[in-house]
Formats: sequence, structure tokens, C-alpha cells
Amino acid sequence: MSGAGSFLVEDFINSITVQLDKVQDALRLKSVNRPLTYALRDFSLDLQVFVELDPQGNVRFRNSAANETGASTVRLGFTTITKPMIDENTISMAVTRSPSLDEIGLAPEERRRLEQIGVHNAAQLQNLSSTTGTGTVARLADLRIDRLRQALDLGRPTVKQVTPGPTQPPPSFSPPLNPSPSPIIRIPFDAPHLNLHGSGLVGVGGPATVRLNRQPLSVLQADDDRLIVNLPETPRSGALEVTLPDGNQVSYHLEVEPQNHRPPVSIDADRWEPAEGRM
Amino acid sequence: MNQIELADTLIALVEGIEAPPGTGLFVTEAELEVPMEVSGVLINNSMVFFAAPPHTRWKSGVLPQVHRAVLRVELAEDDNASVAGSQT
Repeated sequence: MSGAGSFLVEDFINSITVQLDKVQDALRLKSVNRPLTYALRDFSLDLQVFVELDPQGNVRFRNSAANETGASTVRLGFTTITKPMIDENTISMAVTRSPSLDEIGLAPEERRRLEQIGVHNAAQLQNLSSTTGTGTVARLADLRIDRLRQALDLGRPTVKQVTPGPTQPPPSFSPPLNPSPSPIIRIPFDAPHLNLHGSGLVGVGGPATVRLNRQPLSVLQADDDRLIVNLPETPRSGALEVTLPDGNQVSYHLEVEPQNHRPPVSIDADRWEPAEGRM
Repeated sequence: MNQIELADTLIALVEGIEAPPGTGLFVTEAELEVPMEVSGVLINNSMVFFAAPPHTRWKSGVLPQVHRAVLRVELAEDDNASVAGSQT
């Protein structure tokens, strides 16, 4: 906050939080070699600032300069919180990796209006639209409903490819590009995981759910563009159903190759012979 | 003002509350109210927050604005789960 410069409130708070984290880390390191050490429990700062609003509608703080009167007092209080409290009060990290509003084709002004109602990415827009209706979101954000529908279509969760894990399979394992009602996915009998590639695979309510023969498969790793699910030890061929975060369902037929199935081997392939046989 | 990061100032203040060795006294809790000169500088596109007590007790119209910081310091317990965060 030097001189005439002003800063966004979130940058300002982040910079203080970084400093407080440094203090906690330093004090915790000291406790390794010392019997007694202290922890900073609360920290508050009364700042004399001028609060400004920039043309984009962002609140900025400008430090009060020498002999400048009329500054506001902003009291910022920081305290220590526990990990469960963080989990309760912050959105899931996976959701933050959802496509941004920019990526689903919204203009800066449209993004700003959506951010004012707490929508920062495609997953949150999808969640709010399915909860309150697209018309309500359009009315609250003062956006055209067709623009919103266009953005929702671009950010709609999709599954593009399903492959067995952990090894990268040959292309023959992918479902066809023009899928029939239930594309067939072939996997080796010993495949431990199934990888689903797509977009929007993690919503605000959690990741997409995958069922094999109506039995839910546990999620090993969930990301916006990839979901890894565990397969049973002896998977059986059957219906693979993927319920996406927006409620849509995609179905496949999973075909488990038999245990004795081996890829065809060319007879002309170089045969193994004892070394002396070649001499 | 000297460009001292807020973290360095706070660590020095926390260090300062320890009772002298050999006295048999232990400070278990302290609340410090400290005037601070603060400034922020953009370094590699991220803001770094500097804060330090005023370099003089004199008041004049040309000295930087003095702000007020309050710290509550306690003896650390074995609670590794606690981390810093904002309460605003």
C-alpha cells in the first residue's frame, strides 16, 4: 500500500495470510528444538485506508498517506482455524478445476455479473441452474437466457473416452466415435481401474458416479477431466452406467476378456531358440 | 520506513515475550497492541506486505500513517492441525 497505489481486497488479505503462515511455520520449526514455544492465536490489524471502487466494480484499498485525513478504519481479524473448519467453509479443490466462465465463452461483463451471485466456474453454474432453473439465474444475473444456455451447453459434463487402467490401452479399447446406444468397452480381465476421460466430471455435489452391473464403483481419483474408478477383483461383463454431475446418464457395455485370451501372435515372428541351436 | 516483512516483525514480537532464563517464570499468554507502519509492494505480480513499528515517536504531518496491530500469543499446544486463516 505504498503511495498512491491501491490494491484489491483479496490480494491484500492473501498477502497478510501468506505472512501469517510464515510466522506459524517458523514458530512450529522452533518447537522441534525447544521445550516451550508460542503460537500466534489471533492477529488483528486496524488499517487507515481509503476504500475505492474501480470501474470493474472491484473494491480497492489505498493506504492513507502522511497528513491525509478522512481515512476509513478497516479492522481485519485473523485467527487460527483447523482443517475440518477449512473443509466446511471452502469449496472442493476438484470443483475449482472445472472450466472457468471464460472457457465456456462468457464475456468479462457477463462473468462479473455471475461472480456477483457466487458463480465462478462451469460446475457452479451447472449446479445453480439445475437447482434454481436457468431462467432464474439469467434474471438474477441480468443475462440473456440464450447466452446462459449456450454457456451451459459448452460446460456440460461429457465422457469422451473410457479406458482400462493403469496402462495406456491401444485405441481399440475406446468406444466408437459414433456410438450405438451402448458402446462396447473391452478390458483385460486383470485391469484394476477404469479411466474415464471427458469434462465436467466433478460437480459441486461430487464426482460422477459409475456403476457396473448396478454396483457402484469406488472412486480412486476425481478430476474435472478424468475420473479413475476401481474395478472389482474379478469384474464381470455387463452394463456400465455413468451418472454425470448434471444428472445425465451415459451407458456402455463392459466386456471383460477371458483370462486365457491372448492377442494373436504372428507365426512368422522370431521364435526363441537355445543359443547353441543357432550356432 | 524499513522494508521489514510482517512475518519477521511478528516473529520478533513473539520472541520478545519470553521471560528471562533462570527466573522460573513462564509467560503463558500475551496480548500485544503495537502501532505499525505498513506498506505493500508488488513483487513478481504478488503483493508482499511490509509492517514494522514506527521508527520514531514523534508525530508530524510528513511521517507515514501509523496503523494498529493486536496480537494474541499463547503457549503452543500439540495441535498440528491448526493453520493460519482469515476470520474477516
